[in-house]
Amino acid sequence: MSNSVFSELIGLSAGALLLTSVLTVWHRSQRASIRALAVQGFALAALVAVVAVDRKDVELVPVFLLVLALKGLVLPWVLARRPGVVGTERVRIDIEDESPLLNPVATLVAAALLGMVAYAVTWPLVASSPSAAAHAAPVGVAMVLIGFLVLVTRRRAISQLVGFLALDNGIATVAFLISGGVPILLEFGASLDVLLVTLILQVFSRQMRATFGDTDVGRMRELRD
Amino acid sequence: MTPISLGLITGLALAAVAIAAAFLPGVPVRSILSGVSTAAMSAAGVFTGALAMAGATGKLVVPIALPLGPLTFEPDRLGGLFMLIASGVGVLVSLYGIVSVHGASASRTSWIALAVFMMGMQYVPAAADVLSFLLMWEAMALGSTVLLLAEHASRRRVSSAAVWYSVMSQLSFLFILAGFAVLAAAAGGTTFAELALVSPTSTAGLTAFVLLVIGFGSKSGLVPMHVWLPRAHPEAPSHVSAAMSAAMVKMGVYGILVVCVRFLPGGPAWSGILLLTLGGLSAVYGILQASVSSDLKVLLAYSTTENVGLIWLAIGASVLLGAYGLTATSATSLLAALLLTVSHAAFKTTLFLGAGSVLHATGERDLDHLGGLGRRMPWTAAAFGIGCLGAAALPISSGFVAEWVLLQSLVHGTRLNGAAVSVTVSIGMPLAVAVVALTAGLAVLTFVKSYGIGFLARPRSDAAAGARESHPLVRVVLVVAAAIVVLLGLMPGPLASVLASVVAEDGARRPGIVDTIGMAGVSLPGLGALLDPIALVILAAVVAVPVLAVTIASALRHPQRLGASVWGGGGERTRPRMQYTATSYAEPVVRVFDDVLKPSRDVEVTHAGESRYLVQRVKFSQNLTDVIEHRLYRPVLSAADRLGVRARVIQNGSIHLYLLYSFAAILIVLIVAVL
Repeated sequence: MSNSVFSELIGLSAGALLLTSVLTVWHRSQRASIRALAVQGFALAALVAVVAVDRKDVELVPVFLLVLALKGLVLPWVLARRPGVVGTERVRIDIEDESPLLNPVATLVAAALLGMVAYAVTWPLVASSPSAAAHAAPVGVAMVLIGFLVLVTRRRAISQLVGFLALDNGIATVAFLISGGVPILLEFGASLDVLLVTLILQVFSRQMRATFGDTDVGRMRELRD
Repeated sequence: MTPISLGLITGLALAAVAIAAAFLPGVPVRSILSGVSTAAMSAAGVFTGALAMAGATGKLVVPIALPLGPLTFEPDRLGGLFMLIASGVGVLVSLYGIVSVHGASASRTSWIALAVFMMGMQYVPAAADVLSFLLMWEAMALGSTVLLLAEHASRRRVSSAAVWYSVMSQLSFLFILAGFAVLAAAAGGTTFAELALVSPTSTAGLTAFVLLVIGFGSKSGLVPMHVWLPRAHPEAPSHVSAAMSAAMVKMGVYGILVVCVRFLPGGPAWSGILLLTLGGLSAVYGILQASVSSDLKVLLAYSTTENVGLIWLAIGASVLLGAYGLTATSATSLLAALLLTVSHAAFKTTLFLGAGSVLHATGERDLDHLGGLGRRMPWTAAAFGIGCLGAAALPISSGFVAEWVLLQSLVHGTRLNGAAVSVTVSIGMPLAVAVVALTAGLAVLTFVKSYGIGFLARPRSDAAAGARESHPLVRVVLVVAAAIVVLLGLMPGPLASVLASVVAEDGARRPGIVDTIGMAGVSLPGLGALLDPIALVILAAVVAVPVLAVTIASALRHPQRLGASVWGGGGERTRPRMQYTATSYAEPVVRVFDDVLKPSRDVEVTHAGESRYLVQRVKFSQNLTDVIEHRLYRPVLSAADRLGVRARVIQNGSIHLYLLYSFAAILIVLIVAVL
């Protein structure tokens, strides 16, 4: 693959990642956020594929499949799947819309600022490396920060999970861009961790719904003392 | 192996035996075996201490797996004296404990804690480096805290007392640690021999001095760090309060003596004034609170503050006089401090164990509910009476001799070869004399009250009326303790000579300071004063016996008519409620010292029916608070409380807030890393 094509493709997937990250912040609807997260998973998988082709690294192929399956399909599906159990009756509960602590405009401004911060803090890294992949590294850091922003500003348990996963995607992005990914065993372990956390939190949010009637994590304050 | 190292090893081995014996099932077996082993350990301590005090040397080195060097125990003469005091008290207290403990105080934990406490106390003065000193110090603090907590289930005040006690003892530890750290940094080593090389007038030396004064002063229960004393002593089991008061606070005295005599001898005059002021304040404040207290054990606790205050005053006078070159007087003051220490250990053991017997027999600590115990508990009453003589510094007791020596040194301390040495000394010494005189007067009042109200007259409650004399072993312990008080009071000469050699730099007996004269009397040739208690007693007897004989003879010739009180209308009119109570006896003192004591009184009058003139009952209650605690500690504590409440805002349970903290932390770290 020629250098220019490679950098074009890296730029494309990194742009997609950043865009989806911003979308997860911006959307009020939880369904839309989850959809954006799924797209982000695909974009991450595409990034892995590009890196794999560029480095001609066979080991990255299973990683690509893993990322595609887990981040693109399984996790969004787990998040979106919400058959709630209320009492003994199985009822379908609509995913509530998010009412974030920060309004969308302020959130977008904050996301833009975080993007700048990410670019500023990764500047030494970008300056010292000629590779196109390293040049895209600020995107990963920005995703981490934006994911954190989602965690901080969202009330619903599921939205917080979305933020957490976006953050995790950001970490993975940085890893792939800078060093071509972590060893497969580590990647596998981390993915399993994320899956487990998501499943547990999913169960947990269902418990919250059963207890409080909704999944506003602010209600957890009542559990203090 | 020298006898001292043998004694030290034996002591540790017996401590281990006592701890092992504490695990035995069955309260009687456990109490006897563990108590006897603890007493045996203390006896080994008495042996070692006496040897060390006599000038024998020897050490015990315990290698430990820390990068700090081994623990070294090598008591010198001064250490030997305090080892002797601590373990002497330990023997009596452990024996007393065998028969007096019951319930939670007889548990495994308590017996283990007692052994640890006693061991720590004995080995603190034996330590020859900072690490072993602090280790044993903590063992002492830990053991005593556990013992204090023993009865927390049965009385609510115990846990609050334990909190105060442990906070204060940890604060004291902190200051001691800081002081030693400063000294060790300046000296470049942690053995006591190395610490002694620091110059007493260097910045490091003076900083360490102030830190150590706060630390050891707090352990000695000096004002204003005394707040734990009137809480911890009354709430602890009686044998533990005896050990705490008679021996543990002495470790604070030992600490400051080591600082003043060994580490930083020849400190500046102001350090002497500091000690003098602290001691004087504590003495007056302590005895004032004691004189108005009607709780027997609280009274004894405050009296401890007074006595330790006098000891510090004597040490301060010694430092101050030494700074102006008054060597003989300075040495006499130091001797007075040691005499006060020994005598306080003796009479306070007697008093606390006596109070323990009273508490055991009646379940009462409140003097207002006692009375008439003299006839019901003659042994306890006699021993307690002798203890009171000691505490009030009256003749034939050790307290009298000690305060006499102190007054001699203070009175004669202002002039060197007939010329005044400095304005400070000329003003300070008479003030100190006034303080000692005031405390002596109030002490007489206090102990007349505690003995007169507690043991004489008629019982003021059913519990006091039904009191029984205590167990024979307790009586033996009380008699031994009281005998020591009298013995030291009658024959102070030999002890004074030994004590004078203990603090002398070369350990030699210098005839210029103190001599034994007459029938084991004491003479201070440097000051031209002498005291021979036995001779005085004989003299008094020569005068008193004929007078008594004549009185008795005339009384026999004119037998008293019984059975008719003059205005009694033929009936018995006096009732126990008509007697003085402890509160009413101390009322004039409360009135005089109104501004310091801040009493709050409440008189509640219930009228009979509608009448304004007929009174059915009058209820009087008086509440005396510790003004230092209220003015100094409460504001600090409530400020800390408020701060704590305010700090809860940052930890309010909101997940978003916690996440925000992490988020902010990450951002800050990133930005700082770039900058």
